[in-house]
Formats: sequence, C-alpha cells, structure tokens
Amino acid sequence: MMQAHALLSIDREQLRPFFERVPELFEAHHGHEGQDPEGYQELLYRVYRPYTNRMFDMIDEWMGHGHRSWHSDVEREVLLMLYAIRYPDTLLLESLSDEVYLDIRRISGYLHFMKHTYTIWDEDTRKGLARLGIKIPNTDRADPFIYGAYISAIELLKELAPYHSFMEHDVPRQRLFQAALAGYGREG
Amino acid sequence: MGSTKIVEQYRPNFEGWIQQFNEWQSRIGFESGWLGDYQFEIKFDWSIAGERIEFGDFEGMPKWERRMQVPQQNIRDAIINMVSVQGDTEFASVEQQWHLLDSAPTEYDRKSALRIMCEEQRHGWQMAYVLCNYFGDQGIREAQKLLERNSSANPVRGEDDRPRLLGSFNEPINHWLDFFMFTHFIDRDGKFQLKMLSTSSFKPLAASMGPMLKEESFHLGTGANGIRRIVTQGVIPCALIQKYVNKWVSTGLDLFGVDESTSAEWAYVYGIKGRYDERDNEVVADREHLNEESRSLYFDELNKEMEAINARRKDGEPELFIPSDKFNRSVGKFKGDRHDLRGNPFEGGDEDWEQYINDSLPGDEDESQLLEFFKEEWIQYREWKE
Repeated sequence: MMQAHALLSIDREQLRPFFERVPELFEAHHGHEGQDPEGYQELLYRVYRPYTNRMFDMIDEWMGHGHRSWHSDVEREVLLMLYAIRYPDTLLLESLSDEVYLDIRRISGYLHFMKHTYTIWDEDTRKGLARLGIKIPNTDRADPFIYGAYISAIELLKELAPYHSFMEHDVPRQRLFQAALAGYGREG
Repeated sequence: MGSTKIVEQYRPNFEGWIQQFNEWQSRIGFESGWLGDYQFEIKFDWSIAGERIEFGDFEGMPKWERRMQVPQQNIRDAIINMVSVQGDTEFASVEQQWHLLDSAPTEYDRKSALRIMCEEQRHGWQMAYVLCNYFGDQGIREAQKLLERNSSANPVRGEDDRPRLLGSFNEPINHWLDFFMFTHFIDRDGKFQLKMLSTSSFKPLAASMGPMLKEESFHLGTGANGIRRIVTQGVIPCALIQKYVNKWVSTGLDLFGVDESTSAEWAYVYGIKGRYDERDNEVVADREHLNEESRSLYFDELNKEMEAINARRKDGEPELFIPSDKFNRSVGKFKGDRHDLRGNPFEGGDEDWEQYINDSLPGDEDESQLLEFFKEEWIQYREWKE
C-alpha cells in the first residue's frame, strides 16, 4: 500500500534528469578522494558475521566519526539489533538506548555495511531527494520513520530507474543511488 | 524513464507453455525449490521502447505493436528468429550452470549464481511470452523448441537431445572460474545483444529489453567482480587465469556472428536490431559491417575491464590481457586462421601450432591444477548481505 501511495504521488518527469546522469553523478561523488572509494571497497569485504568492535571501528573511521564512548551493554544492544533487523524493518531502531538513538549517521553506517539494503544517512543525499520532490525531514536521531522514509525513497528510485542508470559497478545498488543523489544534492 | 509494467494475466497458450517450462526444469536437473519465493514475471518498459521506428528503411513510421502490423512475412520470420535465439541462450545458461550450486566457494557466490539463474529463466519466459502472445502458432511452436533443446554442457542430457543454437552455450562450465569467465565475457555479449534489440521496430521486443538489461547488469557485475576477487586473492596464478581468458574471449567474440553479415544487414534494414549505441551514434550505419562494429565496441570494453582487473594483481604476477580478436576464432573472417595471442600470423608447422594452442588454452593438466587450488581459500571472501 505504501509503495502504491509513493508511486502515485511521485513526479516522474522530475526524476528524468537525475536518472539520465546516475553513472556520472555516482563517479563524481563516490570516486572523489574525499569519499575514499578504496576504503569503501575494503569494508565491503572486511565486514561480515560475526560482527566485532573492530568492524565498528573500521566503519567509524571510513565515515569520519570520532571514537564512540558506548557502554559495553549498549554495544551489545546494537550488535543484537544488527543481527536481528531485516529490510524493510526500521522499527527496531526505537528499541535502542538514547546514546545510539541520537546518532543516525553512525547507526546508518553500520546498517549499510552489515545489510546492504540499508543506506547511509547523508545530508547531501537528503538534498538530492528534495530536488526530486521527495522531502525527508532533517534529523540527527535514528528516527525509524524518517530513516525508513529515506531508505524506502531510495529503494523506490532504484525500482523506477531505467536500465541505463545501472552502471556496472561492484558496489551495492543502494550505494550507487545514494552517492549519485548526494552528488545531485550538492549541485542544487 | 523506467516504468515497468508487469503482465498480470496470461492467455491459455502461454499458460500451456508454463506447464512445459515446469517439465523442462525437472528434465534438465534444476530443482524448482531452489527458486525460493522468486516469482517469474513478464515485464515491459514501454516508456523507453520508442514510438517510431528509429533506423532502417521504415524509419519514422510507428513501431509495430502486433504481428499483423509487420509489413512482410520475412520481417516476421526475422523477428521470430531474433527472439528465439535470445530465448535459447537464456535457458541454455541455466543448463550449463546449475550443477555448480553445490560447489560454490561462499554463500554469497551461491546466492548470486542462483539469482542469475532465476533471472535468466525469467528472460527466457519473457522471450517465450513474446513468441506465444504475438506470433500465433508459429510463435508457440518456437517457444516450445526453447524447452526442447538442451545445452551440450548440461550433465543431465538425453542421448537424442539437440544442442543449443550458439557455440558458447554448449561449452562446459566445469567450475567456478569458468562461471565467472562466462558471466564476465559471455553475459557481456548478452548485454550487447539486448541493447541492440532495445531500439527494435517491434515494440514488444524493444519494451522487453529495459527490465532485462537492468537485471543483466548484476550478472556482468558478478562476473567482473568474481575475477577481481580471484586476482586479489592471488592463489590461482595469473598465468593460469590467462588461459581461461583466452578460451572465453574467443568464444565471446564469435557470438557476434559472421563478418559482412547479410542477416545483420537485413535486421538493420527492417529496423529490428540496431547498433549497440544506436541512439547516441550520429554517424550513418555501415550496414555491411554491423557485426564487426559491435564486436569492436565489445572488444574495447573487455580491454577497459581488464585494466580494472589488473589493478588487483599481487606483486610479481604477470599482467592479464585480452587476446587478439584474431586468435582461436571459429566464426568470422579469421575463422580457422593461425594467429598468436597478440594477433601476429603464427609461424611454424602443424605440430608447433598444436603445441601453441595447448599452451594457450586450458587443458586437462590445468583443470587438475585448478582443482588443487580450489581446496585453498582461492577467492576473496564476501558475505551475502540482504
């Protein structure tokens, strides 16, 4: 039902210029040295079950986050959440302690590298979505509804995109679209 | 812009074909349980199919949406032939590959291969649907034939089974190195063929290609990424990998067909199959050398991809390369000629040539050596993440 609602309310003409440029926008954003594409690639291979604190550290480092000062109980709680969560669920985020709940960028990074169907929360990407008429409210918190809307909007774009948007690349398609949207958002 | 429509109701003739498809799965050894919750669907993206014929002698006229709009029987026959060949390759690749599922190096690879096999079968469904739905009894008969042939590479084969139509689709895929080579080199040819049909004057065929191309990009990515992971791991020496590159590139180049092809020329004249870059290419088509041009673009793409693979090599490993398009060809103007891997005319006698071929292509000893490497961690680990 939600997808039907989204399909009916989206302006397809507004998407067209973006879809024409997905490969170029992706290359410009993901391939930029500031994005450390090699580091991203490494994480695709080095993050796998059973998850460890070291993996959190590696993701934090790539995302440019400072050290997380979580109590061991909190870390365990996040680990359990990451094992249990299955796309498109985001409601599990509500069960997290405040210190995690207040950091959507960090938690979205873990979600992305451990479950590729989830996407990194990023301000430029949010702006890119806004340029396409998809307005996602800003937040710092891991709000399950706002984050849920953000990732399902990107999933919807993936569904609607024509074949020429799908360049051959060895990154998950969520990253392909998220990075292209970030490039698009930055231009706006 | 993509706007995929899924067909929700089938006519009885296609329902009948689906029964035959279910029997085909059992006959060729593919267990339907492997599909999990995957549902075969018929998908059309009409929005990018184009309204008017884009090239050839009928350029500018409305695209044909039904058989009776196609002006001549020979054009109908040519469309049926195109769809049949495409459909034949889709089912063939499943026949070649299903036996690998038990020996996947990782769960990621098993699931990737299974997804590819599901999607290839869906592509076969799509082509069968076009035949059954748009081409009457003739189409229904051709759709049946898609399920009657059986790849010579399928371990489950009846003695009287006729082979698949194209050479590469009867080549054995013995192991996972072959699988990655196939998805990288042969599925890449598939991408070219699908793109060339995406501008077709027969609109249901053009509209079929968008969703198929979208899925095909995952197949190519699996192949290219698999080879990169093997080279990164550095267990299988590049010299041995090179032999498999030599084998699969030459058969991939053959798939583009003969040089100076009249059937390619007629397909262009009828507007049913264009150039790979038809919509972007402003130069008037050289109708007599269409296959050569497509093959040349494919060849360029292979060389570019090889650069990315080479970047992953371990120190001391020799550079991998794409062999010359003159080497080991079975189709086209270099068919049967003796050229070395760099494209130079081979100098030497029959025995020397035989030795050179044995040294350049994988043989029994190489296969045995590979089996030993497969006992190690021969490919970079990757986890399947849903």
